[in-house]
Parts: sequence; C-alpha cells; structure tokens
Amino acid sequence: MLVDFEVIKRAQTGDGVAFNEVVLAYRKRTLGTIARLISRPEDVEDVAQEVFLRLYFSLDQLRTAEVFEPWLYRLTVNAAYDYLRKQRRRMESRMSDLSEQQVMLADAAAGGRVDHDVRQRRQVTEAVDAVLSAVSEADRILLTLKEVEGLSLKELEKIYKVNENALKVRLFRARQRVLKAFGESGQAPSVKGTAKAEA
Amino acid sequence: MNWKNEGDENAALDRLFHAYRESCPDPDASANFMPELWRRIEERQRSIFFLGRWARAFVTAAALLTLGMAAYLYIPHGTSRFSVESYVEALAAGHAQDTPDLPEPAMDEL
Repeated sequence: MLVDFEVIKRAQTGDGVAFNEVVLAYRKRTLGTIARLISRPEDVEDVAQEVFLRLYFSLDQLRTAEVFEPWLYRLTVNAAYDYLRKQRRRMESRMSDLSEQQVMLADAAAGGRVDHDVRQRRQVTEAVDAVLSAVSEADRILLTLKEVEGLSLKELEKIYKVNENALKVRLFRARQRVLKAFGESGQAPSVKGTAKAEA
Repeated sequence: MNWKNEGDENAALDRLFHAYRESCPDPDASANFMPELWRRIEERQRSIFFLGRWARAFVTAAALLTLGMAAYLYIPHGTSRFSVESYVEALAAGHAQDTPDLPEPAMDEL
C-alpha cells in the first residue's frame, strides 16, 4: 500500500485533503499503467483523471480499505477499456488523428533527425500494438496487466473477481492468438540490444 | 532483427513485452493534473446537484398531480354522468322514430 488505510478511510468520508494524498500517492503508477495500456501519450492524463474522478464518486462503495488497490486497478482497467473502445470507433488513421508523438516522429523521421532511442521505442510500441491488435480490447488489457505490468494471477483474480482457472484459460487463449499474430508478423523491430541488456 | 531467430516464439514474445515495459516508464504528471482533476470533480458535482434538483421537482409535481386527480375522482359531483334508466327504457327511447304513434280513430266512424 502506498498510503495508510486511515487516509483512505478519511477520503471515503469526503475529506478532500485525504483524497489529494491518495491521488498523489497513486498518480504516477496509474499514469504508467494507462500509458502501457493505451499507448497514446497525449491521452494518458485524460484517462488517468477519469480514473480518479470515478474513484472520487465511488469511494463510498469500497467496503474495506484493504481492497483499495485492486479497486483502483479495476477502475483503471475500465477507463482504459472505455477509451480503447472509443478509439476503435475512430480507427481511420488520418494524419490529423495521429498521436502527437507519432506526428513528431514522422516529422523527425522525414527530416532524418530522429534519434536512435526514440526510434527503437517507437518500433517496440508499434510491434506490441500490432501483435495485441489480434485480440479484443478486454484481452489486450488482461495480457498487458499480466505480461507487461507483471501482475500475478492472485492480483488479477482480485481485480477481475473471477477464479484463477478461468483467468488462466482466458490468458492462454489470448496469448495463443497473440503468438499466432506474432508468428505471422514477419520482421519484428530491431530491439535486440534492449532485449539483451534486459536479459 | 528478427525476434523469432532468438529462440522460440514464446521466449521472443516475452522479450518483446519486457522491452515494451522498459521503453514505457511511468510518466510524470503535468502541473495541471490536480487543478484539472478538481475542476472535473466540481463540474460533475454540479451536474449531479442540478439533476437531483430537477428529479425532486419532477417527483413533487407528479405527486401533486396524482393527489389532485385522486381528490377530483373522490369528491361526488352533482350531475352523474352515468344513466340510471333501464335497458328497456333506453332501447325504447332509441327506437322512438321506428314506432310511430297510432293515428287516433276518426270521430265520424263512431
């Protein structure tokens, strides 16, 4: 826990100072999770604010402060899911619809100014986006939480409120579909150095 | 570089996810994060407040209307709208044109 249970209990009673404390404690982690779930940097803050907005109006439904973290993850997952569904509706990739980062990268690439790290990051992000597009938004989020965020099955069980076996089956199927897409994707990005350094 | 050349696809996919995790560190929030969050909270509170007021006004108006209608139906009115005549009387009245009165007998026949 990043804050005391007492602070959460105070926030539940409508204490604005305690709520601020909770937001400040969990803000960075929530922003990171959202950034990896939606992969559009300019929308990350907006989705994170939606998460904390929902938290503010649903805190009174939280039974005990002990389940606060899975609760916050659930709100994060739901907000990211809503965002991804809306995004899919306006999928057509016009230049005006590209993310600021993509536009910046496209401009930089055109001018030959793009730096190696940025290019590498973009390649990894694009590769992950491509393989995760083989599954639904819900499975994309589930896989990201497990494989990228590194959450355990026990933690996912608390977030999704389903038993471990059901989660395992769903994860297995989603991963199989992603693996198939990965296998069909041909050349993957040049991130050998990064992967080796991490290993 | 082909990921698939570095072992089996499962391990390659794990490496890709790991690289993704490393390439997307937790970002810092902008200075505007908290003020914007509180602005959104207050805006939502205002809309909830107005919606609540509108709903209360609607419920009050509906309750008053129901009471008014109940009172109107309960209080007896002077002229009843329902007929008290029997079926035969009503039928006879309806067929008055079909059964003309018999002519009175002529006096000279007597």
